[in-house]
Amino acid sequence: MPNQALTLLLEFDDQVRRDHHQPPAFLHRRDRRFALEATEPHTPRAWLDHIQRLSGGHTNAALKPLRRWRRITLGFAVTGTVLGIVTMLGLLYYDGSGRINVTVMLGFMLLQLMLALATSLQALVGWRPWGWLIERYLHPAEESAMAINRLQPQLMARAAHCGGLMFALAGLLTLLTLVVVRDLAFGWSTTLSTGADSYYRFVATLAWPWHTLWPAAVPDLELVSQTRFFRIEADTAVTAGRWGEWWPFVTLAWCCYVILPRLILTALSSLHLRLRARHVLTSHPGLLALRYRMETPEVDTGHQNTDVNVTPELAVNARLHPLPDSPVVVRWAGAGEASVPAQFQGHQQRLVVEAGGAASLAQDQTAIAEAGRHLSDDSRHSVTLLARAWEPPTAELEDFITDARSHWPANTRITLVPLATDPNQPASDQQLAPWLRFCERLADKRLYVARYSNVDATTGNGEALS
Amino acid sequence: MTTKTRPAPTFAVVGHPNKGKSSVVSTLSQNDSIAVALEPGTTRHSQAYPLTVDGEVQYTLIDTPGFQRPRQVLAWLEAHSLSASDRAETVAAFVHQHRSDPRFHDECELLTPLIEGAGIIYVVDGSVPYSAENESEMEILRWTGRPSLALINSIGADDYSERWHSALGQFFQVVRKFNAVKAPFNQHLSLLKAFGQLEPAWEQVLDAAVMHLSDQRAERKSQAARLIASALEDMMGWQERRTLTPGQLEAQSRQALADQLRERWYQHQRQREQSLRIEVETLYQHHRVQRQEAELSWHSEHDLFSENSRQIWGVSRAYLATAGFGAGAVGGAGIDAVTLGSSLGTGALIGGLIGAAGSYFYGDRLVLPVLRIGALQQGLQTVSFGPVQDSQFGYVVLGRAVDHWWHIAHRNHAGRLPLNLEPSDSHWLADLDSQARHLIQSALNRCRKQRSLSDDQRLQLASAIEAALDRYHQWRLASG
Repeated sequence: MPNQALTLLLEFDDQVRRDHHQPPAFLHRRDRRFALEATEPHTPRAWLDHIQRLSGGHTNAALKPLRRWRRITLGFAVTGTVLGIVTMLGLLYYDGSGRINVTVMLGFMLLQLMLALATSLQALVGWRPWGWLIERYLHPAEESAMAINRLQPQLMARAAHCGGLMFALAGLLTLLTLVVVRDLAFGWSTTLSTGADSYYRFVATLAWPWHTLWPAAVPDLELVSQTRFFRIEADTAVTAGRWGEWWPFVTLAWCCYVILPRLILTALSSLHLRLRARHVLTSHPGLLALRYRMETPEVDTGHQNTDVNVTPELAVNARLHPLPDSPVVVRWAGAGEASVPAQFQGHQQRLVVEAGGAASLAQDQTAIAEAGRHLSDDSRHSVTLLARAWEPPTAELEDFITDARSHWPANTRITLVPLATDPNQPASDQQLAPWLRFCERLADKRLYVARYSNVDATTGNGEALS
Repeated sequence: MTTKTRPAPTFAVVGHPNKGKSSVVSTLSQNDSIAVALEPGTTRHSQAYPLTVDGEVQYTLIDTPGFQRPRQVLAWLEAHSLSASDRAETVAAFVHQHRSDPRFHDECELLTPLIEGAGIIYVVDGSVPYSAENESEMEILRWTGRPSLALINSIGADDYSERWHSALGQFFQVVRKFNAVKAPFNQHLSLLKAFGQLEPAWEQVLDAAVMHLSDQRAERKSQAARLIASALEDMMGWQERRTLTPGQLEAQSRQALADQLRERWYQHQRQREQSLRIEVETLYQHHRVQRQEAELSWHSEHDLFSENSRQIWGVSRAYLATAGFGAGAVGGAGIDAVTLGSSLGTGALIGGLIGAAGSYFYGDRLVLPVLRIGALQQGLQTVSFGPVQDSQFGYVVLGRAVDHWWHIAHRNHAGRLPLNLEPSDSHWLADLDSQARHLIQSALNRCRKQRSLSDDQRLQLASAIEAALDRYHQWRLASG
């Protein structure tokens, strides 16, 4: 039966690794959406099912490391089986000249028990004395950072217990087979000055777990007394028939002190593995990040709207023209309000009118009419229109020029002069560029742009913007 | 679960042409694809930029064209209104009547959101003198009767904001200064809160939006740290490999082979660093940053591998020695654990000294990777170059990455100037707390030994780098 906690951990770990190269915004959107739409609890399993469903189904690629561990476990089991048979054949070797020492058998059982406990203890404390072996021969380098690596002690303990269990079962079968097919002579012997009474109490204690189930498998004092053998053999003809009566005790002792502990510890190792896998999953950094993404609202600031304005054509083909000496100066939208250069101030030959900005539309009409009258009295049909360089030309100025054209002599030359914040300084190229483009857009052949500079009145003669 | 009883607030960003309306929207919506140009009429149509949380609109900013014929509009309104009570209706009537009139296209575009209930964000340029011609625009906006806020944006260097402030105060409920290109993030949030104060029903929504944006920013910093940690791990552990037959190996000199592999190794490192740059920029929604970086070639001015980079971004010998002490002490603590503490801390001391000595040994120069030729296996030999055996390399990568992060994280989306990554001249990492220093140093050591980091170690490295980001930000603030 597959360990669900373990497969969940592996699949989750695999998905987190796949997500490693995804943009964080995408992950947030995906997982937050899952959290908002999912009807089931937001468990890693539900999340994985959701992801896998969207990706077209479940794949077993994530379980590849687990298959390797299954092979390792199988290897332990096969080796355990073979060793179990060989070991039991060795323990029960009997050529008729001696006895099979029950004390040795009990000692071997104790050794098995100790090994089983040591295996479990090692898994509990997470000790990996064999770790280098795994990493060197059985473990691909790319898996070194995977979550399954944190379960190595538990996986190894489970494999070892499986091997131990198979060893014990194979040993039992071998024992029973030999009991059937051969006449085994068991006895007990020890160098210690232990009497039959003491040994009887010892084996009776060992046999306590099954004394009610199978009383015949509990050696009696008589059997113990009669089956003691010594290095220097005495005549034992009376007891010879009883040598074989030890086998039920040996069999049940093997079951009780070798097989049963292995069985319990194998089950416990599986449980430990499951608990450990669950713990690794709950402390997985990917799970913390996933929970954060699921719990945190996804904020979209509207940054993805790219279908908006196309960057305007900023090339300037028109050139600046020389500043004319016009008989009419129009101050548009308060240009030159603070201080107007002397070149644009009114006198007998030069009319200065105001339009645009704070002026009303009626005042604009009056200014156009006044300028028209003045132009008809002057042979220089030229108008200088002062503007604020930093305020871009608007449709109102376009309306004013169009309107003025219909009232002024047809050949009137209109020169736009954008003034800088400080009127005595020339306007920058950057400020003049929109005015030149405005001029181009209107397609008025007698509309020009000039730059004013108090240093050199001829500045701008045929000048192009840099 | 909340039930929406009213639509999310909408704010129309309006004003005279070319006063930075699009810049304001660009910065507040974190969108660097909005055309921002010093050309009147760049924006010809209204465009909505909603802020959504889990797909639910919290508020919407609308970028609009500028006024083109405000005096004509005002004249029309005045001619069709009888009293102050019908002004809003008259504005709506104007829009309905002139919707298909090309002369009033821009006015209809900008007034439509207002008659549909949007709040007014009126933008002026505080770096140019106040002009009375704006008054007809402001008067039209007042006629709409919508809640209003004026923003004094500063495009140029001069400052006329005081005059603007007093003039705007006569027309608008709230007047704020806000430089769309330079304003720090907390000012963005403060401005959004001010939007919420225009109408009681909007306050809660805008406060919640501000909270979400703050959280998003904090999360972005953590994500940036993770991206940098990942790049650092890749670059420190990178090994360039080639498999050759013995004949191929003999056909070229060892030096030529080393040069070839070294060049490929450099190339990979540069590409990885560039991909980190793009990842961080994408994280902060900067998709069009023009980075001005020095030519990445050996020994050039700001090259990743140059001596100059090492001096600027590398850390001092003392820093490496102390960071190494921590790394060594961890190993020493292991000795204590094995001896069941019987050495009473001697293990930690010895480990620390060994670690410090090792780091000090490395500290003074950038040790280059070396060419290694592997054993003959199945008639082939593997030649490898790298990984770099000097943690200074890691500090150079880290320093440059943190500097780039800082510039990107503090760059407004209205900014269109190229990003110039000029190196600073102080070892800011020296002020990092010892735990973060040790974490970074031990991660760098592990990577250069090609031992991959566990998930926990990756997390720790990212948190240490996040601390470095904070430290760098403080250092930048302190150094002005």
